[in-house]
Amino acid sequence: MTTTHATETSTPSSAEPTVPAEAAPAVVLNGVRKRYGDLPAVDGVSLTIRRGEFFGILGPNGAGKTTLIEIMEGLRQADAGTVHVLGMPPWPRNAALLPRLGLQTQKSAFFARLTAREHLATVAALYGLPATAADTALRTVGLTSQADQRVGDLSGGQRQRLAIAGALVHQPDLVFLDEPTAALDAQARRDLWQVLRDLKAQGRTIVYTTHHLDEAESLCDRVAIVVAGSVIALDTPHRLVGAAHAPTRVMVPVGQLSTERAQSLPGVVRVTVEGGSVVLETSTAGPTLAAVGDLVGLDEVQTRTATLEDVYLELTGSEPHS
Amino acid sequence: MSAFAALSAANYKASVRDKTTVFFTFAFPLLFLVVFGLIFQGQEVAGSGRGYIDYIAPGVLSWGVGNAALFGIAFTLMQWRNDDLLRLIRMTPTPLTTVLGARYTGALVIGLVQAVLFVGVALLPMFGLRLADSWPLALPVLLLGVTAFLSMGVVVGSRANTPEAVAAIANSIMVPMAFLSGSFLPIDLMPGWLQNLSRALPLRYMNDGISAALTGSGDLATIGLSSAALAGFTLVFGVLAVKTFRWSNNS
Repeated sequence: MTTTHATETSTPSSAEPTVPAEAAPAVVLNGVRKRYGDLPAVDGVSLTIRRGEFFGILGPNGAGKTTLIEIMEGLRQADAGTVHVLGMPPWPRNAALLPRLGLQTQKSAFFARLTAREHLATVAALYGLPATAADTALRTVGLTSQADQRVGDLSGGQRQRLAIAGALVHQPDLVFLDEPTAALDAQARRDLWQVLRDLKAQGRTIVYTTHHLDEAESLCDRVAIVVAGSVIALDTPHRLVGAAHAPTRVMVPVGQLSTERAQSLPGVVRVTVEGGSVVLETSTAGPTLAAVGDLVGLDEVQTRTATLEDVYLELTGSEPHS
Repeated sequence: MSAFAALSAANYKASVRDKTTVFFTFAFPLLFLVVFGLIFQGQEVAGSGRGYIDYIAPGVLSWGVGNAALFGIAFTLMQWRNDDLLRLIRMTPTPLTTVLGARYTGALVIGLVQAVLFVGVALLPMFGLRLADSWPLALPVLLLGVTAFLSMGVVVGSRANTPEAVAAIANSIMVPMAFLSGSFLPIDLMPGWLQNLSRALPLRYMNDGISAALTGSGDLATIGLSSAALAGFTLVFGVLAVKTFRWSNNS
């Protein structure tokens, strides 16, 4: 038997943390509420984010995601409930906690007319760190060759990466990213994914919001889906998709299989013709595929399983981009 | 590098890299000084026995310094809040007082450089300003003037959410005040009721104090009263600044 503390202890049951700060989860929210006037922005949210976790917060615009993150960051005070970040309450402004948190806001916040390196050196100095921290952060996000460009001359993707570098310059344990890949092209988005994966590999906890569900599915250990200020689902993307029992789509080239024949195959719930394919929606992909294989062979057959986006749309009843 | 030094360096670089601001801070007031100085070259203000330049030099100096202090902090605060830079700063362990302190020090340095430039030009033989022995007393008035206009600028920058709003509010404060306080036209030429009205304006006291120190138009009591009045305005606008300050636009 060893007597060392487990790094992932169970969540504290009382309002005050009983575990040492180093062992505390990254974020513990308990019954958190926040309203603006008559409008509840966060309506009783309880969740625990573990150390080293890549945690996604998804939801339609206006669902309360940003407010929720701002409460975790200590930028807003919750009306009710308890908030602990790395074992400490983030509100009121907690100078002991701040150096361990990094945040990238939706707007790219840069000091005017400075170069990328000068901007980061200024941010580093605000944390009491030498200018060399700026070069490390630039390297982390792959902006070393843009170090001497003015912030105003950077491309959209480079600005996003610089904003993330600003969140990392002081090597925080917990990083908050609010829509870091918004308005990026596909290539810039994939480049940024690598940056984010590297951060997780370094053991940092990442809490982020996004409208890109493919991205959340690919990056996140767990996601919380927030609708109207409440968490309506919280699990790994894999289990969320599995639990939704969304149909698998089997696509057979038109002409190989009639819709009538398809309708009669095992497990098939619906048959449509889309884009040159007979599309079979099935709740039991195995038997259906076996039957299709027997009839026409599987060489030109494609399957598409449910994605997080399907689950999300089903749960929120809306388009992800509103 | 300390947070204070880094912020000062960032402020300095942002200022000198913005040619428009450099122009409006230094060349624009100088333009007024040169134009009015040449129009009224060698003339005396009727009934006062003092040259026009004795009015215009301290007047343009006070207005230019006050204008730069107010606009500078107002634009910066509005921009930092819009860009979420204030929130970034708030999430660092550096207190807001250090951030504002760096801006304050920067504004004092700008005011000092402006003063040296404007007085230096006014001393040229073609404009003919002559300094009184009391000229060093202009420094405390200058310092208090920058402080008062800076605190007004914090209020403007906290209320206004766009560059247009900052320019509109700041201009409608500074332009009428410049004329009413005698920055461009000798105050002694104005009707008595306007002279009395101007005593409600901070720029009037800055003009009086700087003028008394530089040209000997007033005595130590004038300088003392001006300094006290500017300190009073600082207190009032400082309280307002603390009350109106916002970290972000939606809070």
